[in-house]
Amino acid sequence: MPKVPGLVKGLGVTFGEMVKTLKEGPQTTRYPHEREEPAPRARGVISLYEENCTACMLCARECPDWCIFIEAHKYLAPPRREGGKPRQKNALDRFDIDFSLCMYCGICVEVCPFEALFWSPEHEYSEVRIADLLHDKSRLGQWMQTVPDFESYEAGSEAKVKKVPR
Amino acid sequence: MTATSDREQIAALAARANDNRVNLDFETEGMTLNMGPQHPATHGTLRIVARLDGEQVISAEPVPGYMHRGYEKLVEVRSYPQINTLVNRIDWLGSFANEVPFILAAEKLMGVEAPPRAQWIRTILFEMSRIANISLFLGDYGLQLGAMTAGFYAFRDREHVLNQIEAATGGRFHPNFDRIGGLKDDLPKGWITDSHRAMDKLLAFCDELDDLLVGNEIFQSRTRGIGVIPRDIALSYGLSGANLRASGVDWDLRRDSCPPGLVYDQADWKVWTHPDGDCFGRTWVRLQETREAALIVKQLLDTIPSGPVMAKVPRIIKVPEGEAYVETENPLGAMGYYIISKGDLVPFRVKIRSASFNNISVVPWVARGAYVPDLISILGSLYFILGDIDR
Repeated sequence: MPKVPGLVKGLGVTFGEMVKTLKEGPQTTRYPHEREEPAPRARGVISLYEENCTACMLCARECPDWCIFIEAHKYLAPPRREGGKPRQKNALDRFDIDFSLCMYCGICVEVCPFEALFWSPEHEYSEVRIADLLHDKSRLGQWMQTVPDFESYEAGSEAKVKKVPR
Repeated sequence: MTATSDREQIAALAARANDNRVNLDFETEGMTLNMGPQHPATHGTLRIVARLDGEQVISAEPVPGYMHRGYEKLVEVRSYPQINTLVNRIDWLGSFANEVPFILAAEKLMGVEAPPRAQWIRTILFEMSRIANISLFLGDYGLQLGAMTAGFYAFRDREHVLNQIEAATGGRFHPNFDRIGGLKDDLPKGWITDSHRAMDKLLAFCDELDDLLVGNEIFQSRTRGIGVIPRDIALSYGLSGANLRASGVDWDLRRDSCPPGLVYDQADWKVWTHPDGDCFGRTWVRLQETREAALIVKQLLDTIPSGPVMAKVPRIIKVPEGEAYVETENPLGAMGYYIISKGDLVPFRVKIRSASFNNISVVPWVARGAYVPDLISILGSLYFILGDIDR
């Protein structure tokens, strides 16, 4: 086999790649103008469905770096049936997640027994001041609109698809 | 320090080293070169103190510790699910691979075994994180030696694998997907087809890289015969992974002692070795390993059994008293966790054996007598992640 000079061979590889790129289009996107949608499961931001939260503190306790702050007070709700006892309920005063500390591990979402926390793939919430990364319960509640429905599973799975309360 | 005392020191060092790789014939001046802690070839913050004689390295001492995060102490006050998120960050390029030995060790203590479907998906994600890790090496090593193009191509095709990891686990770099007794969730619909496509792209990338980087004459002249680690030295310094296999030792934990919970025996694959033990051999072995990992993933994707992905485990995990050690073949080498439990919510002590710490211990030996530009070749080809050294 005649020896092809390295330069010619290298330029051949380069030319081949150029033709391929022209045919297939560029691999990059111009980010602020074009957006790539992350996967529905992507862990972007935690959103709170306030009606389901009972202030049980499980998420705050299980968080590996303790970035969830919950305050609540008890109140007596009117009884369900007539003549019954008034029910004791927890009202949420404060539910803050400090996203400057959050490790995005998802333990809080997983341990929540009442399905009050959900992952949203939304990720464009950077701030100039680090203190603004502390999202309070109204801001966390707004993220609920961006939570996608749970995907159906791959064939052969026995897991049940859960529903997002809206 | 004066030049005379330098000469004496060099002569003493050469005598102690008991080899003739250090040349004493030229009248050269000694010098201390401080590489790092912020050098791009160190994948983090590793400092290398190199004593030079002219352009030859007399001795090179790695100084780790700039990124020490105290993992072994930290995990003593974290529960098992919390530790799982932390160990993701040891080798941050192949995060899922860090979780697996820890979870397997905890499972061994608890006496639970993940259902077959979970074992399959675990192995697939393990190999995917290996690809994500090593394809960065293949691109980055070229970058360190001045070949810019390979870096772009590697990042382009690594993206497909990362997208698959994200689609399944929710995290691109820190999946936190493994649980004691199985997995957090099942795969989403359409994932298997997409993964097949990503693996096809990756196999094409491996062929492309053969052309672009490994077959390149400049690359070969910078790596062939540089930083040769002979077989017995590799074994005595406790190297593992591709660094050991490039020295001709046919040793792979995935094949030789695969812990229960991973299903490598279900796929047909090959362990690649290289006889030379030089920088080129290490790169070549890693390239073949990436290809082999893609083939393992493709085979396992076709045979995923159906069923649940989680065994029955209590909601609050208490690991019974005992000790267990499990090690697996991670992208960087053998990684293991020794867990001592006293039956509490938290482990009593965890010893982490990470591959990179042993892999860089050979640097003083292999860098002796090398030239300064070759030091970059050697460091790059040993391929360590600083998080894996310091923990």
